Amino acid sequence: MRLRTRPRRAAGRGIHDEGFNETFAKPGRNSQRHSNGALGPAIETYLWKGTFVLSFRFKLALVFTATLVMAVTLVTWGVTSNTRAKFELLDQSRSNALIDQFRKEFAQRGDEVVNRVSGIAETNETTKMAIDLSRPQGDASKYVYDADGLAPQQKLDFLDLVGDDGSLISSFEYKARFGYKTDWVTAPGVDWNNEGAFLQRIELPDGVALSLTAVHVVTVGDKKLYVIGGVQLGKGFLTTLVLPTGMRALFYKNLQPVFDPGSLADVNGPLPLADRLSSLIEQVRKTGAAAEETIQWNADPASAENFHADPLFGREKQLLGVLLVGSSRKELVSLLDFIRTLGVLVGGAGILLGGLIGLWVSARVSRPIARLATGARQVAAGDWGVRVDVRSRDEVGRLARDFNEMTRQLAEQRDRLVQAERVAAWREIARRLAHELKNPLFPLQLTLENLQRARTQTPEQFDEIFEESTATLRAELNNLKTIVARFSDFSKMPAPQLQSVNLNEAVRSSVRLYDAQFNLAGRPPISPELYLDESLPLIQADPDLLHRALGNLVLNSLDAMPSGGTLTIRTAKNNGTVAVEISDTGAGLTPEECERLFTPYYTTKRHGTGLGLAIVQSVVSDHHGKISVESAPGAGATFRIELPVRPPEAEAIHEITHESSGENGESGYTGVEAKKEETKPVAAPRRELASVTKSTLGLGN
Amino acid sequence: MRERVNSMDPRSTGLSEADGYANERLLELVFERLVRLDDTGKPAPGLATSWEHDASQTHWQFQIRPGVKFHDGTSLTPALVAAAMKEDMSGTWQVSASDRGIAIELPYPQPGLLVDLATRDLFIFHRAQDTVFGTGPFRIAEWQAQKRLVLVASEDYWAGRPFIDRLEISLGVAPQQQLVDLELGRAEVVEVLPNLTRRASQSAVRVEASAPVELYSLMVTPRGAKSYDSQFSKALSLAIDRAAIVNVLLQRQGEPAGSLLPQWLSGYAFLFPTAPNLEQAKKIRTLFSSSPLLALDYDGSDPMAATLAQRIAVDARQAGIVMSVSAAPATDGPNHADVHLVGRHFTAPDADQALQAFLVDVVTEQAAGDHAGEARTQGAMIALDTPERRYAAERDAIDGGRIIPIVFVPEIYALGPSVRDWMPPRWGGWRLEDVWLDAAPHAAATGGG
Repeated sequence: MRLRTRPRRAAGRGIHDEGFNETFAKPGRNSQRHSNGALGPAIETYLWKGTFVLSFRFKLALVFTATLVMAVTLVTWGVTSNTRAKFELLDQSRSNALIDQFRKEFAQRGDEVVNRVSGIAETNETTKMAIDLSRPQGDASKYVYDADGLAPQQKLDFLDLVGDDGSLISSFEYKARFGYKTDWVTAPGVDWNNEGAFLQRIELPDGVALSLTAVHVVTVGDKKLYVIGGVQLGKGFLTTLVLPTGMRALFYKNLQPVFDPGSLADVNGPLPLADRLSSLIEQVRKTGAAAEETIQWNADPASAENFHADPLFGREKQLLGVLLVGSSRKELVSLLDFIRTLGVLVGGAGILLGGLIGLWVSARVSRPIARLATGARQVAAGDWGVRVDVRSRDEVGRLARDFNEMTRQLAEQRDRLVQAERVAAWREIARRLAHELKNPLFPLQLTLENLQRARTQTPEQFDEIFEESTATLRAELNNLKTIVARFSDFSKMPAPQLQSVNLNEAVRSSVRLYDAQFNLAGRPPISPELYLDESLPLIQADPDLLHRALGNLVLNSLDAMPSGGTLTIRTAKNNGTVAVEISDTGAGLTPEECERLFTPYYTTKRHGTGLGLAIVQSVVSDHHGKISVESAPGAGATFRIELPVRPPEAEAIHEITHESSGENGESGYTGVEAKKEETKPVAAPRRELASVTKSTLGLGN
Repeated sequence: MRERVNSMDPRSTGLSEADGYANERLLELVFERLVRLDDTGKPAPGLATSWEHDASQTHWQFQIRPGVKFHDGTSLTPALVAAAMKEDMSGTWQVSASDRGIAIELPYPQPGLLVDLATRDLFIFHRAQDTVFGTGPFRIAEWQAQKRLVLVASEDYWAGRPFIDRLEISLGVAPQQQLVDLELGRAEVVEVLPNLTRRASQSAVRVEASAPVELYSLMVTPRGAKSYDSQFSKALSLAIDRAAIVNVLLQRQGEPAGSLLPQWLSGYAFLFPTAPNLEQAKKIRTLFSSSPLLALDYDGSDPMAATLAQRIAVDARQAGIVMSVSAAPATDGPNHADVHLVGRHFTAPDADQALQAFLVDVVTEQAAGDHAGEARTQGAMIALDTPERRYAAERDAIDGGRIIPIVFVPEIYALGPSVRDWMPPRWGGWRLEDVWLDAAPHAAATGGG
């Protein structure tokens, strides 16, 4: 007998040992690997207990890429926000500059109007008119058309000549109003000749107009002649403004009680879609303060314009006009589009590059961990001598060194444990052998001593004693042979040769073998009762081993009922497995007995070897089945075997078993595959044995 | 001239009131009528040397002047006269030629036929090779529609060759420019609008004005008549300060008009008040709960009409009557005005004829072409033979609220220093065949002979 470990067997069963994969390969049926081909094995997911799990390397690459994308996004957002803010600032600055320019132009134009009106007031015609009208009999009617000649001289759009009493003498723009009062100009307290130009609402025959007006007074004696002249404010005025590219100026003449789209014009005339600016203008009309609004003229964001509205007041602080400075957002939108596009391109390239770099970096970072994982899996597979080669000095390196130390210590402990178990096993064997051999040897010794004493007897007596002694010797020698045969059988457990087997037939065959035992003379009869499910599928099993296991259980049950009873056998199928229950009505077992029932060489019978149930468990284990026992003192015992219809690793088991029990004559219970877990109670009084692996303890012949 | 005359064909149609009057002035230089008016306004022989009619005044016989030749040399014959008359007349007249003259058969008595023949566009002409020839003192030497007309003296004119050899008449010249041309010696005779009379009088030119021969009045359109009744028209009439219009806008060239005929023509115009009464106008205005915008239009080609219309609107607003003022559409089409401002010339010094013609126009305007209007027209034509009837007719027309007289305006001309014997009739006109030029001041003037 010798112990053999086979650490690389697991790798030979189709599980490669690269990276983390092996960590998850161990769950076998419960794990499934998925690979996303583009990035190869780096981007892998695993179906672990119903959940997709990303590989650590992929996660690392994902985090790296996400970080890069976030960085690019943040940079893009930051650049966009900053650009927008700067553009808004620039736009505000340009608008203010244009409004300042408008005010300067307004003031300059006002000075021009003042000069022109003064020019008219200082002409000989006006002077003569003033002198004539200062006379008591001065006739104003003859001057009704004089404004027609004076206004064009000074390029004035509006010119009113008003008499001392405020009556209109002549009007260039509305001569039909002659004789009507123009009281505002005669109001006391105003030094018109030193007053600048101002905005004024001018009434025309066909409507109203906005004028930049100045007044000059010609005084003759105590009579005054008021010369009121002005130029129209409108699109013509806007043409004098120097507009930067992308900007335009609009002028709204606030001469109607409600918003009038026709009063809004730019240098090209009335503005189409003027209603779109109604809210902005209404806001200025309501508050009398500057306002701002962005108007998008159509679905294209580049059509948007930011408008700054600046109110213009008349002498009485009445709102007469609104200057609107429009700044196109086209450049901003184009710039932002470019930035966004660049961001997307850079982001895309960053994702690609980041992914690749992330994969490379994550591979470097995760490689030690992968090695650790491989080592851990190898350790789990039984290769305790594995060493992880990690040269880094960081935490991973320290972990690897600890891992190596751990495996070294585990290997040492395992060796010590194996050695201790070997000693214990040999002691147990020695004890069992001594116990088994002691019983036949004592009668042999007594018989031989009787034979020696019989030499002093008479020949007849000697012959009689001799016959009796030889019979006894023969019987005890048979006992010894039986004991030896049982040990031999246990050591010769063959590998299962799987084929289609009818479990019910195996049961019937096993029961028939013991027909004679049911009605043995000198013992109360035992009645067999079979409840077999005839719909059981054929299973893949070794018929001989199965027959042997079932026979052992039947025999075990017969031995448990020395006073007679009922042997009940049931078969059933259940979701890919078949089960057979063998029950007796014997004395039953204590929990402690159940605990050790399948331990080799443990027996509750006077002449048992303790190998019967161990053989049964070994057979069930080789078929990837389960065996359990349910019993209580005085209540009999029920053994239950569950076997897969087709063992999933039957071929592997076959291969392993074949190798293990090969030509070198070594035991099949070696290495990792030979590990047999210690039988442990699951729930008293039922004992269930998970016989997935075999014991590490191997017994040779 | 400021008007742009389109044609020198006597049968040209579609002229506006102003263009028609100007066209008639030009045609009178080239073409003649059977009858003319003498200086007192009485019918006098023209191309017809004598005439007679029956007792019913429905059958008229005219003797044609012998020895008269058209400008192409064709002799004037009764047949040619009858042909021209037939082309002139409406279908209600029947014209026939005889050896010595023509006969006109009328469907109804018409005592004023002679004035009609002397004032209406019943010119005698002769067509040859698509050219129209007249018998007037001048013949056409060059014609550019709307721009220029050049006339030369007709050597064979039956009343004697005119003094002026050649006349060049420019069309479509702005009033201001006309005055400038006159001042610069580029013209001898120009029209003067009232607003320019002060300037003209300040220059070294003579200003000659006729009697007030043009009435500016408001004519309520059928559309307006649906919304405004006679009371509303009265309120509007009371709101208008006619004296201010005459004194200021017309520079005292004209008379306030409360009647349809001026005082010099009717003799009773003073019975129609012209003074404004704003309080009364406001009082009447309050009878109307609401006053929608009253649309007033005017002849856009008349420079004075715009100012007058605007002043009327200004005055009306004082009485709470809001009017929108606009020029009438230049082309024929739907007119959405409630009130027209119309300037109408009196072409004859005969009150009966003038009023009849005026009322016909009024009735025609109001009837808008329906057949009932024609009947009323005929009724009006036979009932205005006495001042009392004319007064009553005017009173009815004005009180009916369909017409609101505003002002009477004269024809005003400025004459260059070389113009002699400018003696137009009191009711307007040129009589250029009697004018001669003193060669000394402006021998090289364009209009010089």
